[in-house]
Amino acid sequence: MEEISILDSIPDLNNFKTFTDRYFSKRYITDVDGIKNNDIMIMFHSNRIALLSLAPSHFFFSKNEEYKVNYTVGKVDRLKNSVRGKSKRGGQQLGPKSVICKIEFEDGTGFEIPCCMKGTLVEVNEELVNQPKLLKEMPDADGYIAIILSSIAISEATKSELLTHEEYLKVLDSCEIKN
Amino acid sequence: MNQKAIIKRCKELGCCDACCIRYLGIKTPSAYENAQEYVLKISADKAGQPQKPETNIEPEPVTEPTDNFPQDVKTEAPEGATGTTEATSCEQSTCSELLVADNSCETDDSCGEPQPKRKKLEGVCVTCLGVLQEENWPQCWNMVQEMLEKKRYECATFACALSAPIATILRERIVALHLRDACAAYDDASLTPLKEAWKWSFGARLAAHVRLSLDSGAVSPLLVTLHIEYPDDMQELEVLKALSPGLFSARRAAGRRFGVEFTRRSVEQALAGATLDALRTRAQLSEAPPVRARAQCVSVVCTHAPLYLGGRYVKLSRALPQTPWLVNGVRMMHSSVQEIICQPIAALYQMGVEDAEHRLKFMSAGREDVDVRCLGDGRPFAIEITDPTRQPSEAELSELCEQISASGHVRVRRLTPVSRDDLAELKKGEETKCKTYELLCIKLSRSADDEPATNGSASEHAAGAGVAVTARDIARVNAYRNTPAGDAARVLLQQRTPVRVLHRRPLLTRARRILELSARPVPGHPALLVVRVRTEAGTYVKEWAHGELGRTRPRLGDALGARADILALDVAAVELDWPRRPPPTTTHCDPLLL
Ligand SMILES: [Zn+2]
Repeated sequence: MEEISILDSIPDLNNFKTFTDRYFSKRYITDVDGIKNNDIMIMFHSNRIALLSLAPSHFFFSKNEEYKVNYTVGKVDRLKNSVRGKSKRGGQQLGPKSVICKIEFEDGTGFEIPCCMKGTLVEVNEELVNQPKLLKEMPDADGYIAIILSSIAISEATKSELLTHEEYLKVLDSCEIKN
Repeated sequence: MNQKAIIKRCKELGCCDACCIRYLGIKTPSAYENAQEYVLKISADKAGQPQKPETNIEPEPVTEPTDNFPQDVKTEAPEGATGTTEATSCEQSTCSELLVADNSCETDDSCGEPQPKRKKLEGVCVTCLGVLQEENWPQCWNMVQEMLEKKRYECATFACALSAPIATILRERIVALHLRDACAAYDDASLTPLKEAWKWSFGARLAAHVRLSLDSGAVSPLLVTLHIEYPDDMQELEVLKALSPGLFSARRAAGRRFGVEFTRRSVEQALAGATLDALRTRAQLSEAPPVRARAQCVSVVCTHAPLYLGGRYVKLSRALPQTPWLVNGVRMMHSSVQEIICQPIAALYQMGVEDAEHRLKFMSAGREDVDVRCLGDGRPFAIEITDPTRQPSEAELSELCEQISASGHVRVRRLTPVSRDDLAELKKGEETKCKTYELLCIKLSRSADDEPATNGSASEHAAGAGVAVTARDIARVNAYRNTPAGDAARVLLQQRTPVRVLHRRPLLTRARRILELSARPVPGHPALLVVRVRTEAGTYVKEWAHGELGRTRPRLGDALGARADILALDVAAVELDWPRRPPPTTTHCDPLLL
C-alpha cells in the first residue's frame, strides 16, 4: 500500500475559516431595546446549540475604558447555573428579554447584555470574569458570553427572524449613509 | 417397581407407547426410536410370555397419515377442514382460530349446559396430544423440508427444538398423579421430558428425512424449531384458575406485562403440589380431558447461529461517515464505511437491501468523524451476520476484502471469523485503548520570541500570513508538559463536553491524558506544523488542537506559545490487537518429528 501522509491534506489557506465560522451560522440583531448599536450576535450550531456574543458593531467596542463582566443579574447568579443529564435539566430558563450579564466600566457606567432568544442556559463563559479583555479581543471565539440550548423549532425560528451576515452588513451600510 | 403395571395403567388412561416409556422414566434414546417394540418387550418379559400390550389406542393406518379425523367425528364444527391433506401453516392457524371461536360459547353462561362441540377423537394420546405419535410426523417432516429448501442452508448438521402445547403439562401431571395413586412406589418426578423423548424419536427420523445429521443445539449452528399447537390449549387450562385462584388473580393484578395468563411457568406453578383430590374437587377434573383434536405443527422456524467476521478498516476519505449519517431521516452523505463493508457481504449471502439492514450488524472499536481518515493498520471492526446460510470460505473472505477495497474509500486487508467472546474484547477496546493521531495544524499568531516582522510567501489575506513556525516553536512543543517530570502523561487535559455533541450528551468536564506529543515543520508551508499525539481513549483531539473557545484546557496553543488551529486529522494507530492473528505457521520442520 502506498504511503498516505497528512501532508496531502493541506487546504487553500486563503479559504481558511475560524472555528466558529466552520461550525456555526452567525445571526445578528441590531439596536436591541431601541438602544443604538446595542448589537448582539448569536452563533447557531447545526445541533441547535447557540453561542451568545456581541456583534462587531456593538458600541462597547468603541469605548476605551477598563471594565468587568458581572454575571449576577438581580438575585440570579448565572455563574451558579448547572445542568444535569442529556436534557440539561436544572438550567436557568431564558427569554429574549433575559439579561445574561452586565458590563461595568470603571467610570461607573455600564450596560446589560440581553439573551435575545428563548432557551435553557447551559454554560456561561466564566473566563470573562478572570480575563475581561477576551470579550473585546475575541468576541466570536474565546470571548463568547454564554451557551444556550433551545428546541429545534425555536432555534430555527430565531435563526430566520434574525439578520444573516449579509443582511447585517447591509443594515450597517445604510446606518452609515444616514449618519 | 413394576414396569408392566405402570404401562398397563398408562394404557388405560390413554397414553401412547412413547409416553408409557416416558412415565417409566426411561432416558435411553434408542428406547424411543421404536417405542411400540420396547413396550411390547417389557410386557412380554415381565409376564414371562409374549403378549400384546393392552391398548385402547389403535394407531391409525400409516397409509393415510394426513387424515387426522376419522369419518365418524364429523360434526357441525368446521374442524373437518383441519383434516385436509397438505394443509399449510396458514390454513391451520385459521382453523385453530375458528375452533376456538366455535368453542367460545362453552364459557358463556347464556349457552346453558356446556355443549362439547367436538366428540372425543380416538387414537390420540391423552398426554402428548399426538406429538410423539408417528402417524403425525410426515406432515411435520414436509414442513421442515420445505423451510430448509427455502432458506438454502449449507450445513451438514442440525439441532431441533419443540414448542409444545402447554396443556401437555397439565395432562402429564394428571397421569402422573394417577400412576402414584395406582403404584405407591411410583416416583412422579422421574417422567422423561416430552422434548427429550421427541428429539430421540421424531428428531432421529427427521434427520433421515432431511438428510442431515442430528446434533445437540450446543454443537450444531442450525436450529429447527417446530411450533406444535393444540386448538383447546388455553381453554383446557382455564380449570387452573379454579385450582389456583390466588396465582392467576395476582398475575391479572400485575397487569399487562404478562401478556398471556397461561405460560409454561404459570401452569407449572399452579400445578405444584396439586393432588388428585384437589383437581377433582376444585377443578372438576378426575382424569385428563378427552382429546377432541390432535396437536398439529403450525409453523417451522429455521435459524443458523450468527456468524461474526472481524477485520480492520482503513478509511481514506474525509467525506465518509462511519455509519449512515441521517438528519431527520434524510441521509447527509451518499455512503458510509458500514455500507461499503456490508454491501459485498450482503451480495455473498444474496440478501436484499432490507434483508441486509436487519441481518448485518456493524460494530467497531470506536469511530472517527466524517472528515477524519483512519490510516495505518486501521480500526478493528466486526460484522454480525444473522441467520447465515453458511460459513464463507477463505477464498470468499479474500474476495470480500478485494470488493470492499475496490470502493477506493475503504480498505480491508483481512477478514476472519471471530467468536462472540472476541466481540466483547472489541467493545471493551473502545473504552480502554490508546490511539495515535496526526494533526495538520496552523500557527495563527506570533510567538513571544518571534522576529518582529516575518514576511511569508503566502498572500496577505491567507491565514497564518506573516507567521512562521520556528525551530524554537517545534522545540517548545516537543518539550512541553504540564505534568511532573517522570509522569507517564505529558499533558493532563480538562475537557468539557464539546459543543458539537452537547445537545445529546450531559455537560461534564473530563480529565484526559496525552501520553506522547511531538511536532515537525511542514516544508514549503511556514505557518503549518504536523503534530503527533498518543492519547488515552476518549480524548477529543480536535478540541485540544483549537481549544474550543477555551473549553479544553490546556490547548495546543499553550504548548506552541501562539494561537493555533487544526486543518486536518488522521488516526495513525488504534492500539488494539484485534482480531488477533493466528500464530504464524512454522515453515521449518521440527526435527523431533522427522
Ligand atoms: Zn403420548
